[in-house]
Amino acid sequence: MADRIKVLEIDLNQPLAGFSGLEDYNSIHAVVRWRGDPVGYIDVPLCNGHCSASAIRAAILKVHSDNLLHSMVRRDLDAPFSDIQDLENAKATGDTDSAARADNTLVTVAVCTRDRAEQLKDCLTSLSKLAYSKVDILVVDNAPSTDETRKLVQSEFPDFRYVVEPRPGLDWARNRAIDEARGEILAYTDDDVLVDPLWVSALVKVFQDDPAVMAVTGLVAPFEMETQAQVLFERYGGFGRGFKRIWYHVDFTSRGDSFLHIGAGKFGTGANMAYRRAVFGKIGEFDPALDVGTVTNGGGDLEMFFRVLEEGHTLVYEPAALVWHRHRRTYKELHVQLTNHGIGLYSYFMRSARNYPRRRREIIRFGLWWFWYWNIRRFLKSYITTPRVPRDLILAELRGALIGVTRYPKARRRAEEIRAEYRSESRVSPGGIPEPARSE
Amino acid sequence: MKTLLDKVPVAIRSVDISRELLAIDDLSNYPACRVYVFLGTRLLGMVDIENARQAISPACLRDAIADQLGWQLGSLCLGDHPYQPELSLIERKVPALPATAGPSRLPASVSVSIALATFDRPEQLQECLKALCKQESPRRIEVVVIDNHPSSGLTPPVVADFPGVVLVSEVRQGLAYARNAGFVHSSGDIVIATDDDVIMPPDWVEKLVAPFERSDVGVVTGNVLPRELETESQCLFEAYGGLGRGFNRMEVGPSWLRTSRRRAAPTWKLGATANAAFRAAVFRDPKIGLMDEALGPGMPSGVGEDTYLFYKIIKAGYSLVYQPDAYVWHTHRRDRKALRKQIYNYSKGHVAYHLTTLLHNGDRRALFRLLVELPHSYLKRIYQRLRGRSVYPVSLILLEIRGNLEGPFSLWRSRRRVGREGRSQFPVATGSGLPAGIMSSDTGPGVTGDT
Repeated sequence: MADRIKVLEIDLNQPLAGFSGLEDYNSIHAVVRWRGDPVGYIDVPLCNGHCSASAIRAAILKVHSDNLLHSMVRRDLDAPFSDIQDLENAKATGDTDSAARADNTLVTVAVCTRDRAEQLKDCLTSLSKLAYSKVDILVVDNAPSTDETRKLVQSEFPDFRYVVEPRPGLDWARNRAIDEARGEILAYTDDDVLVDPLWVSALVKVFQDDPAVMAVTGLVAPFEMETQAQVLFERYGGFGRGFKRIWYHVDFTSRGDSFLHIGAGKFGTGANMAYRRAVFGKIGEFDPALDVGTVTNGGGDLEMFFRVLEEGHTLVYEPAALVWHRHRRTYKELHVQLTNHGIGLYSYFMRSARNYPRRRREIIRFGLWWFWYWNIRRFLKSYITTPRVPRDLILAELRGALIGVTRYPKARRRAEEIRAEYRSESRVSPGGIPEPARSE
Repeated sequence: MKTLLDKVPVAIRSVDISRELLAIDDLSNYPACRVYVFLGTRLLGMVDIENARQAISPACLRDAIADQLGWQLGSLCLGDHPYQPELSLIERKVPALPATAGPSRLPASVSVSIALATFDRPEQLQECLKALCKQESPRRIEVVVIDNHPSSGLTPPVVADFPGVVLVSEVRQGLAYARNAGFVHSSGDIVIATDDDVIMPPDWVEKLVAPFERSDVGVVTGNVLPRELETESQCLFEAYGGLGRGFNRMEVGPSWLRTSRRRAAPTWKLGATANAAFRAAVFRDPKIGLMDEALGPGMPSGVGEDTYLFYKIIKAGYSLVYQPDAYVWHTHRRDRKALRKQIYNYSKGHVAYHLTTLLHNGDRRALFRLLVELPHSYLKRIYQRLRGRSVYPVSLILLEIRGNLEGPFSLWRSRRRVGREGRSQFPVATGSGLPAGIMSSDTGPGVTGDT
């Protein structure tokens, strides 16, 4: 009965073809790409495991004419038109593709992982296929219980750097990556993600095009929709934030604008984000009291997006920076994930309200509104109309929200303890970076 | 439009996409920016960017253009790409590019007069005249300035700095009187009407007169873009509709006027005489004549003189072409009081115009417009405002309603005044244009058209 959906990629540079042999699936969910730019999703139902090229074409045209056209126009504006005649000439000279530009900025890609060597392997394999040449890939193993990850990296990916971050918590690992990074740009991804070959190229292009950009987030597409839980997660909102490039900058002098950056979930997610490394020197590192591995279970990425904008920097959502995320497969995991999502979000609200008194009023107002709009209203509505997702998932997030309000102080104390604990240890072994030595 | 009202002031900038896009900086005082996009000298459209007082990088600008002007630009880049040929269906959805004025096929022997009406705005007049002197055109261009307030003595010194510019005085106040004086004293085959609060690019005249190569074209109107959006009033005026009529070429003829039996043809959407060119012959056409002096600024009725002239010209069998490429930059009123007055006048004039078509031409569709369409549109706009779908203030909507109610009375007052002061006429009834020299700057007040 499970709704299995085949996730695919359709590249418009190839002739459109139909799909067949997908008897086990009900429909396809495909990312349409034109010259590497993701243009949009299409959903086409399958009939006996088959769908024709013309059905795909019709679906693309119906939904994505606009986006496709915008993609083309944007490309052309990159190489300015001088006149229509000139444009004809440009056609003859061929590609002004971004791939042709020199890869002259070193990018550090940090993968923070913990005891998931199997998934990590797929992730690292995808990273080894990046089109961008000047990358420095760093695997941060966060408080590992086995040395499987180390073995994997050292045996199969000898070019990648491996470090151990013994302090448990994703944000400790992210901060470790900041210390270890060599690149001017630092991109983060998770171990349950496969990156697109053009991922880094797209990120770098945004940073290169505008020196004011301090953070870039990207599109997170589902890697597979094999189970009901995965389908539900995507339907619940997923991680995708659309196919339009959006520039975010908050103008605090304009009335009403100081709200815009508080709902930080709309900017993206930690599985696909990149920063200019210099920005951490200005606004600080990730808050180790937040995110997976602590009692707050999330929110570290959101808090950083908020801080980038709150401190007056620019953040860009660039859908061309595409990664594929393996959603949780079982319903139980999904349930837990949504609870954690609620906890993480409200922990982030609490943390930001605490650290930014000037923004406290707006955060509280936004938090209350969001609680009503997203948690309560949807819950009540589920009794009136058939909800898009089961009510217990809505309830799970609602519960998470309530828990989240209380968690941050505790997490903070714990983070302080960890900090103290490891500081005393590092005093025993001088040399600055005692952690790898400890684990080896 | 919402962004514009929320974000004041709005910077006005232009970019040419035929060159490399450059960053737009010096925006630290502007929360928003309106960018007019050109391909060479051709105006393609505009994009609004909320830049939050930051410089706009080329990448950001490019995204905004692709996003907001994608369909207009689409026809420039489609067909150039080796993209999926089966998707060529997109091409059919892309509208043709706004037609370019191109090299004019109008013979250079066709002469042009520019009738510029002014009322005590010497600085702005000077700027406008400077811009007019820089017009690039192979034809003879005569500039006629109509001083509608000669007793102040502010205008003649400015005009004296520009040799060759003809100054005409019109003591009877009212823009329609002033324009008529300009039409009467113009010797060109084509007469362009404009105001003192605009400036124009050098290719303006050529673009505006190009459509006259077709003999059925009687009027060409052009686009009017805001020169600045520094104050809330200026932004509100743009939100009200401004003076521009978009970036797509339009053309209407007599059949357009008869499209509906019930609804009045929206002549007020065809442009304004801040930027309009007329075939000089139309004023001597007995079915058309000059502007109706009872309408227009300076009269109690407020506006409507241009709309009614368009109405008469189209009704007489000519075509009107809206040529968005021929644009001028207009300085909107800066203060709130002037804005309120202007909107009030527009509302009065709208009613006065419809009543004129009803009384003079027996156009009963005016009644439907006044009694059904207008009240309905007000209710709709107030509803939208209350639902938060628009930011146009209710106080201004109420002001418009008041203006509408005042309309019939104002028309009656205006007509009485015209009755007292007399109508404009061509001095010589035989119809041959007077040599311009006779009406040079030494013309005394009241000479024009007084009978």
